[in-house]
Amino acid sequence: MKSETRFQILVSVAAIGLSMLTGYAASQPVSNTLASPESFAGIAGTAARSAAMFTELGKVLTHPRCTNCHPAGEHPHQTDASRLHQPPVTRGPDGHGTETMRCSICHGNANFDPGRMPGHPEWHLAPREMAWEGKTIAEICAQITDPARNGGRKVEDLIHHIGADTLVGWAWHPGFGRSPAPGTQQEAGALVEAWVKTGAACPAK
Amino acid sequence: MTRLAITINGRALAPTEVRDDLTMNDFLREHLGMTGTKFGCGAAQCLSCAVIIDNPDGTSYTSPTCVVSAISFDGKAIRTVEGHAKNGELTALQKAFIEHFAFQCGYCTAGFLNEAQVLLERLARKPVARDELEKTIAEALDGHICRCTGYVKYHEAVRDVVLADPKRYLA
Ligand code: FES
Ligand code: FES
Repeated sequence: MKSETRFQILVSVAAIGLSMLTGYAASQPVSNTLASPESFAGIAGTAARSAAMFTELGKVLTHPRCTNCHPAGEHPHQTDASRLHQPPVTRGPDGHGTETMRCSICHGNANFDPGRMPGHPEWHLAPREMAWEGKTIAEICAQITDPARNGGRKVEDLIHHIGADTLVGWAWHPGFGRSPAPGTQQEAGALVEAWVKTGAACPAK
Repeated sequence: MTRLAITINGRALAPTEVRDDLTMNDFLREHLGMTGTKFGCGAAQCLSCAVIIDNPDGTSYTSPTCVVSAISFDGKAIRTVEGHAKNGELTALQKAFIEHFAFQCGYCTAGFLNEAQVLLERLARKPVARDELEKTIAEALDGHICRCTGYVKYHEAVRDVVLADPKRYLA
């Protein structure tokens, strides 16, 4: 092959590679940050401000790190693409798997990146009634403020649950190959607290 | 490095220092040379790498070894495919696998053997009715992948072992 031809091929391959990379970058989420409660100060009505803060928090609640383990059915999902968990596993009577296939058999006390295995001592699925998968932010809000569907919690309890619970906190430190939930757990906790203190209003849609 | 104390096939190993990022599969295969435990997908999908873990209360379960750290097995007692036959005598399950020609390449066999052994031990503690047996075997072996498609033969082999001793395994 003539060196000139080889050069032209190399340039074309590089151009295709570059265009693929730019396409990939363009398809990434625009922002992986969370706005602070103070940044909503410009919204006049308290309820509207509260609902807007919940909408911001919705970036976390609808993130695959959260919805994968708040599934609508009997099976968790995994990866940023939220595909069905492989191998096939079922929530079981207590959300920790079936008798012969407990979550803890593979999921240890902490992430084990050499095996690409996420972990936490309490690794398990959220109860059926706390399913978020496929729901809008407004629907999740209605659900999360209903003690019958939020694990029997008052809205005040959600400040600690979202802002400090270590299993929830895993979503911001998910280990190799998984994108973390937006912002930080502290920022999410601050948003929940501000949302609760402004009346825990839900967005209309 | 972390100290790992483990019992394998009834023998307590002298505590040994292992790297925190060492998988259990590499510990068995590379450190101990116990290559009966296989490495297939490396991603908790095929269970060819599964070993038996014995609980102190006498119950047992299987665990993949490819995606979990060696140190997570600290203090545990496990059984591998090398621990089934005693004094060169194969178990009823191993004989049934051979009689049914259940495996071809054999890559998945250690995982199936361990899983079926755990099932037999569970049935001995908690027998099931005959009409629940097929579903029970299918559910127990579910998750193990055999590229040579020996599923039916594995199933039939396990069924034969159970039916050969109904007083022990069936309610
Ligand atoms: S090699 Fe471990 S599950 Fe496939
Ligand atoms: S016998 Fe070949 S993979 Fe099962």
